[in-house]
Amino acid sequence: MTNIAAAARKHAPIFLVAAFALVSPAQAQKPGGSITVGQELEISGFDPLKVGVFDSSGFTAAAAIFDTLTTLDDKGGAAPKLAESWTHSDDYKTWTFKLRKGVKFHDGTPFNAQAFKENFDRQKDPANKCRCAFYITNVKEVLAPDEYTVVYNLTDPSVNWPAVISIQSTNNVVQSPTAWKTKGDDYNRNPVGTGPYILKSWTAGDRMVLEKNPDYWNKGHPYLDRIVLKPLPDAQSRFASLQSGEADIIWDDENDADNIMKAQKDSKLTVHTYKGSGAQVYAFNTKVAPFDDVRVRQALVMAIDRPKMSQAISNGLSRPASNPYGDGSWVKCKDDGALPFDVEKAKALIKDYGKPVEFKMLVTATPRGRMIGQVLQQFWKRAGANMEIEQVDQATIPSRAFTRQFQMTPWRIVDLADPDPQMYANFRTGSPLALAGLADPELDRLLDHARVTADIGQRTDDYCAISRLINKEAIWFWTFQNTYYALSSAKLKGFPKIYNSVIDVSNTWLE
Amino acid sequence: MLNFVVRRLLAILPVLLAVSLLTFLIASLLPGDLALVILGDQATPENVAALRRDMGLDQPLWWRYLSWLGHVLQGDLGRSFRTGQTVLQAVSERIPVSLELMLMAEFIGLLIGVPVAIACAARAGGAFDRFMTGSAFAMLSMPSFLVAILLIYLFAVELHWLPATGYVPFTEAPLSNLRFFVLPALTLALAEWPGIMRVLRSDMIATLQEDYIALAKAKGLKPSRILFVHALKPSSLTLVTVTGINIGRLLGGTLIVESIFALPGIGRLLVGAIYTRDLVILQGVVLLVACGFVIVNFIVDMLYAVLDPRIRHGHA
Repeated sequence: MTNIAAAARKHAPIFLVAAFALVSPAQAQKPGGSITVGQELEISGFDPLKVGVFDSSGFTAAAAIFDTLTTLDDKGGAAPKLAESWTHSDDYKTWTFKLRKGVKFHDGTPFNAQAFKENFDRQKDPANKCRCAFYITNVKEVLAPDEYTVVYNLTDPSVNWPAVISIQSTNNVVQSPTAWKTKGDDYNRNPVGTGPYILKSWTAGDRMVLEKNPDYWNKGHPYLDRIVLKPLPDAQSRFASLQSGEADIIWDDENDADNIMKAQKDSKLTVHTYKGSGAQVYAFNTKVAPFDDVRVRQALVMAIDRPKMSQAISNGLSRPASNPYGDGSWVKCKDDGALPFDVEKAKALIKDYGKPVEFKMLVTATPRGRMIGQVLQQFWKRAGANMEIEQVDQATIPSRAFTRQFQMTPWRIVDLADPDPQMYANFRTGSPLALAGLADPELDRLLDHARVTADIGQRTDDYCAISRLINKEAIWFWTFQNTYYALSSAKLKGFPKIYNSVIDVSNTWLE
Repeated sequence: MLNFVVRRLLAILPVLLAVSLLTFLIASLLPGDLALVILGDQATPENVAALRRDMGLDQPLWWRYLSWLGHVLQGDLGRSFRTGQTVLQAVSERIPVSLELMLMAEFIGLLIGVPVAIACAARAGGAFDRFMTGSAFAMLSMPSFLVAILLIYLFAVELHWLPATGYVPFTEAPLSNLRFFVLPALTLALAEWPGIMRVLRSDMIATLQEDYIALAKAKGLKPSRILFVHALKPSSLTLVTVTGINIGRLLGGTLIVESIFALPGIGRLLVGAIYTRDLVILQGVVLLVACGFVIVNFIVDMLYAVLDPRIRHGHA
């Protein structure tokens, strides 16, 4: 992160050494062997036009089959992958990437700027109605001025663009144009990339077998000969498979706190924990009563006992959040303006408001959603507010949010390399996602300033001021930070940080 | 007999039609709008309206049902919007797994249930009988997900005898395939044998009080011969029906068991479709499964009629 900013200040081309510093050289990497990954969900496919976005299981496969232009190093800064270097315009709206030469897709198609552009254009084309287009609305166009140069023209400045596009999402992974053109409908289940592993076979509902790409451009990589991905939907039997050695690494989350704690005590297992950026968040609709009054909003936030809530929902594994950035972010605030937990103050504020506080909260119709709703309901009851739980299907929440048909709704700020895309979308006046509906000129000024400033120190000041402002106005509140988990056999080495929940095993080896 | 078969067949048609209507309604009445599911984060009102028009979701319910039924009757059950697979593709890939699981479970259930029932009936009211009837009751009250986890911990995690999860096709490696199926089939069978045992036991006890059994005893026939030859066949009538009805119960069981043991069968397909709101797959699978159930029961009825002449002549 810091190296980007420093270089950005100089407005000079960055020529980074094309070496991966993802694993510390102290460990001896051993080639060969095969691992089995236990995933939560069945992978639905890889064609962006079909699947729109990858889920947690799709990400793992995509990280092995495809490459992105950039990757994140262990410090969270952008490092080269298919792109060797990059430069940007003074206004941070144009980013030019120089591509690695001599790379081929698994089907022999040469990887070049044209191939990259075709990937982008296909997703952007309104005729294709791709769900994936939603996440590239800020990219005006991608140009390919010559065979090994790609230019991104953005609608808005982005000082951290190379880090933002490092996640192995449908927008960022590069797929073979030849393959999707020739395979048509079948391409979804027969993906072709430039990545370290080639899809060998895929039995629906059972297993996906990936084999080492012998012609991988990054010499000496990957280490494992084979990766088998298996959907093991039941958390208990997934953990049992890890214990019995049928799986070498499994996906997990806080809902499975008991097993995570069991694994922490087991010397044969390693618990990989990544404290990501972002948080689980909730938005008040400030356009409707009772949330048009700041006292009510503050009272509800002050009534939340996060440590107790963490005990109730995840045996204390959930880490309380007091700002939207989280421990995994480079934004570190001395003062984020968090409101203290203070039931008495909350009661006083509600008394001061003078009218009964009654409202509905949307929760997802899942066991976890219900539990969170019930816990919050209890906290708020204690402060003198009556919350009614309205359970809705997960897919209903975005649409209710967009149309502002809610009083309070859950939302999510995911782990991203830079806070700008999500903060801007969630809080800038006029954004369809500015759910709280509070137009605040100071907030807008700070958001606008932070996205065109290269200096990390200055940006940190901006984002901390933003956090203080949001916390004071209590238009959104944050309950817990994002923590991502994977449990593996202690023999598995070289497993990187779980950025944005992506379990990337493509660089691991067995001891 | 032919007359009977035709009568039964005609009775099935309205049932199948009702099944199709219910299936369609279930999927339509589920919370959540298909258009919202597909659009996800970009479900702006305009996008949703456009997609609903494209998919015909803005048409009245009866019209949508009829057009869906029309497609179904032509063998087109639709295509998953998530994976691009047709329902028939998805189902045909997974049917063998569920069939193998159910057959194996039924087989193990009979293997435990029938001998236990005979032994209990032979000395009804004895210690063994009381113990087994009690055990059967206990087994019936154990939820299958609990049984599954206990079996996994015992046989896979502690003893390392059998795999906890996974699958290989029988054609690839018959022995491994059977090893993968032992625990899931046993899980289902443990819920299956008590029903089998109780039905057969009570029928056997009733049969053993018939006059001809007393006559056989008086003739000095061996007790084992009386049990297995004279009493078992007349007592198995109800068992045939129970076995047929069990298919339905087993299908329900596969939903849980296949998810826990990660077997790629119909149950898993259905659970996945529910989670991802893949309504096309959901409708198609429920319809096929329900039809399969109706047909299996029809076959059981036929078998019953073959076994017991009183039934086909309409005075049972």
